[in-house]
Amino acid sequence: MSSKSLTLRNISKRFGNVNALDNFNLEVGVGELVALLGPSGCGKTTALRVVAGLEHQDAGTVLVADKNISDVPAHKRNMGMVFQAYSLFPNLTVEENVAFGLQMRKVSKHLRLKKAHELLDLVGLDSQSKRFTHQLSGGQQQRVALARALAFEPEILLLDEPLSALDAQVRVNLREEIRRLQLSLGTTTLFVTHDQEEAMAISDRVGVMNNGVLEQIDTPDTLYNKPASSFVAGFVGTMNRIPAHISDGMVEIFGSKVVALKRGNETGKVHALIRPESISVAATTAQGNAKVLTRSFMGASSNIICQTEDGTIVQSLMTSASTGDLLPGSSVQLRVLSSEVLVANV
Amino acid sequence: MTSQVIEGGAPSRGRAFLASFIKNILPAVPLLLIVGFFFLFPIARLIYVSFLSNENTFTIDNFKTAVQEPYRTGFLNSIKIGVFSAAIAAFPGAVAAYFIETRGSSKLRRTIAVMSGVLANTGGVPLAFMFYAALGIQGYLTKFLKYLGWDLYAGTFSLGSFIGLLIVYLYFQLPLMVIVFSPAIVSLRREWSEAARNLGASQFSYWIRIGIPLLFPSFIASFLLLFASGFSAYATANALTVGNLPLTPLQIGGLLDGNVSAAQLNLGKALGVVMIVISACAVIPYLAIQRRSAKWQKG
Amino acid sequence: MAKGIKVRFQPPLAITLLILGFFVFVPMISAFEYSIRTPLTGGYGWTHYIWAVREDDFFHYILRSMWLAGVTVLITLFVLVPTLTWLHLSRSKVRGLIDGLSLLPLVIPVVAFAVGAQISFPEFVQNTVLELPFLYFVLALPYAYRSLDIGLNSIPLKTITEAARSAGANWWRTITAVIVPVIRGSVMATIALTFALSLGEYTLTVLLHWDTFPTWVTFVAQDNILGAIAISMMSLIIPFLILTVITLFVPERSMQGRK
Repeated sequence: MSSKSLTLRNISKRFGNVNALDNFNLEVGVGELVALLGPSGCGKTTALRVVAGLEHQDAGTVLVADKNISDVPAHKRNMGMVFQAYSLFPNLTVEENVAFGLQMRKVSKHLRLKKAHELLDLVGLDSQSKRFTHQLSGGQQQRVALARALAFEPEILLLDEPLSALDAQVRVNLREEIRRLQLSLGTTTLFVTHDQEEAMAISDRVGVMNNGVLEQIDTPDTLYNKPASSFVAGFVGTMNRIPAHISDGMVEIFGSKVVALKRGNETGKVHALIRPESISVAATTAQGNAKVLTRSFMGASSNIICQTEDGTIVQSLMTSASTGDLLPGSSVQLRVLSSEVLVANV
Repeated sequence: MTSQVIEGGAPSRGRAFLASFIKNILPAVPLLLIVGFFFLFPIARLIYVSFLSNENTFTIDNFKTAVQEPYRTGFLNSIKIGVFSAAIAAFPGAVAAYFIETRGSSKLRRTIAVMSGVLANTGGVPLAFMFYAALGIQGYLTKFLKYLGWDLYAGTFSLGSFIGLLIVYLYFQLPLMVIVFSPAIVSLRREWSEAARNLGASQFSYWIRIGIPLLFPSFIASFLLLFASGFSAYATANALTVGNLPLTPLQIGGLLDGNVSAAQLNLGKALGVVMIVISACAVIPYLAIQRRSAKWQKG
Repeated sequence: MAKGIKVRFQPPLAITLLILGFFVFVPMISAFEYSIRTPLTGGYGWTHYIWAVREDDFFHYILRSMWLAGVTVLITLFVLVPTLTWLHLSRSKVRGLIDGLSLLPLVIPVVAFAVGAQISFPEFVQNTVLELPFLYFVLALPYAYRSLDIGLNSIPLKTITEAARSAGANWWRTITAVIVPVIRGSVMATIALTFALSLGEYTLTVLLHWDTFPTWVTFVAQDNILGAIAISMMSLIIPFLILTVITLFVPERSMQGRK
C-alpha cells in the first residue's frame, strides 16, 4: 500500500490581518479518513491547501510518513486532490483527464490508459471515457475528478468540499462512494467540508475548526455525545440551550436535578446543553411546564417544538408513536432523559 | 353541425396565428424593423446594385474591374496591413491581457478596461496628430532616435507608408487585443492550474498541456477580429496617406466622394461587396470559436 | 475563504504596463506638448484650447455630437432592453435568429456599410441628421446586445419578473423599476460603450456627408494645425472622462461578467 500518514505540526498562516491557521496541529493515520469541519472562514481549506502545497505556511512543518515535505513544491508532492467543482481540464477527454497524473509521471501511454480505465470502472464511468467533460453531469464530473486524483496512487487524498456544488441526492450517493473507494484502496484521506452530516457520515474522525484552531478532533460519536466546547456542541447536531441554575455540581432543569459535566460556572446561572432526543414531552392534564408550539411528523420520528413558561424554545425528537396526543397549544410536561448534561456560561 | 365547425374553425385558426405571432414575434418587431431598414436593406441593396451596369442591367463587370489594378493592389495592401497589424499586436496584447487580468488589482483592471475602450476607438485625424508629434519628421521620438544614432527618415520611411501606417494601426490594435482576449484569460480557471500542479505538472507542462490549448482558439479568434479591424480601417488611413498607398477603404471612399471617377458607376459597390466577403471570412470563424469556447466556460 | 489576495509588487505586470504605457503615452504627450505651444511667445500656454472653445463651431459640433450620441443611447436602451427581456423570458423561436442578426454588423466593414446606406434610403431619411443615431445603433449593436445579454443571463430573470408582476407592476414598470436597476452594471456598460462609439464615429459620418465633432477636427486641421491638435486632445479626453464617470458610478461587481 502506497498510503502514508500525514502530520501537521504548529502550522500558522496569515492572510493580511486574518489568522487563517494559528499553531495548527493534526495527525492522520495510515488509511484513515479525517474530516475537517467548520464554518466558512475557519481555516479548514487553508489547512488542506497547505498540505497540497498550494499555499505555503508562514511557520510549522508538514510531514508525510515522518518525512518533512514543508518545502517540496506542489507538483512534486504525491497527493491527489478533488476540488469543489470545475477542476477537470475541458480540452481533454475523460480518460485523458484521469491519465493526466500518470502522464506527468512519464508512465507509458498503454499503462496509463489501462490504469485510467480501471479507475473509471471503479467510479462507474468507463462507458464515458471518450467524452469531453462538459458533456457530463455535475455528479459525473466529480466522479471523474475522484478517479483522476486516485489514478496515480497518491500517498494522500485531499478532498476540498467535493460535494458542495451537487444536488442533495447525488451528494449522499457520492459520499458513500467516496468512502467505499477510500476503504477499499486504503488511502489516507483529508476531507474538508462545512456540512456536519457529511463529515459525520463517512469519517473515521472529525476535527471541528473555528478561527484557525482545531477545537476538537474525535470520532463522530464522541464529538456528538461529548463535545469539548460550547462551539462544538452547537456546530455538531442540534443542541437546546436551556437556562438553568447550577450549584454543587448539579443543574436544575424542568424541576429535576441532573449532574453537570465540567465547564461553565460552579454556581449561578448557566445554559444546560441538551440534545433534542434527550428531552421527552408528555401530555398532561395538570398544569405542565411548557406548551406545544408545533409538531412535525417525519416518519418514524417526530420533532416537537415547545415553549417553557419562561419563554425558552425547546426542541425534542421522539418516536412518532408516542406523540399522537401532542397537539399545538396543549399543555405538556418536559423531562430530561439523560443523567448528566453539559453546561455553558450564559 | 359540420358547417358550424368549419365556420368556427377558420377564424380561430386565424386567431391562433395572430396569437402565435403576438407571442413569438411581435415584441421583436421594433428591433427587426430598425435592423431591417437601417442595416439589412442597405446591405442587400449594396449587393444588388453591385451587379448592375451603368444601364441598370445585370452584369459582373464591376467585379471584374474590382479585382484588377489598381484595386487589386488595394486589396492586397489592405489584407497585408490587416494581417501584419493583427500578427504584431496579437501576442504582446495577449501577454499584456494575461498579466493585467491575473496580476492586476481590480482598480487597475477597470482603469485599463476604460482606457482600452477609448484607445481602441481612436483613429483618424487625432491619431494622425499624435503620431506626427511623436514619429513625424519633427517628432520627439524621431529626434530622440536620431540622437541615439538612428535616422528614421534616412530611407523611405514616412507615416503614410505601409510601415508607418502599420505602426500607427498598432495604437488601436493593441488595446483591441487586450479587450477581446481578456475574457479568455478570465475564463481560465485557477482550479485548472492548481489541479495540474497537484497532479504533478510543472508550470511548463501546465502551459503546454492545458493553458495554451485552452487559450489557443480564443487567440486565433482575436487575431481574426483584429485582422478585420485593420483590414477595414478607414479614418486613420485617410488622415495619414496622401494617395501614395492604395488601400481598398480609401478607394471606396474616393469613389463615393466623387473625388475619383470610374467608368463604372457601381464599381464602389462591388469593392464594398468584396470587402464584406473578405471580412466575413475572418469574422464568422471568430464568432464560431467564441460560441464554442462559451461551452467550456460553463464547465 | 480567505486566499492570498496580496497586493505585491509584480515585476511582469510592471514591465507590461511600462511598455504599453510608453507606446500609449509617448504619442499622446508629444501631441499634447504641441497643443500647448505658443509660437508667438515661444513658451507654453492654453492659447489653442482657448481659441478652440471660443469658436462658435466648437460648441455647435460638440453639442450636436453629444445629442446624437444621446439619441443613440436612448434608441439602444428602448429597443434592446424590452426585446432582450422578452427573448430571455419567452424561449421564442426567433431568439437564435436575433442573436445572429445582432452580431452581423461585426462582419460588415463600415466603409461598405456607408456605401450601402448612401444608395438605399429615401430622401426624407437622407435629409435628416437623425439617420445617424439609427446607423450608430447598428454599429454598436453587437457590443450593446452582448453586454445586456450577459447581464440578463446573470440574474434569475423569470423569478424577478414574476415577483414584480404579481406585486402589481405592469410591464413598463417591471422593466424600468425592477429589471434595469438589477442589471444596472450591464446597462451602464452599454450606455458607456454606445455613447463613446457614437461620439467618435468618423467613417460613416463623413462618407454620408454629415458634420459632427470628429469631422470638424479634420476641417479645422486644414488651416489651424495647432488648434486642431488641441481639439484632438479634447476629443480623446472627453470620452475618457465620460467613460470613467460612468464606470465609477457602477458597483464593481456588476461591471464584470464574473461569478
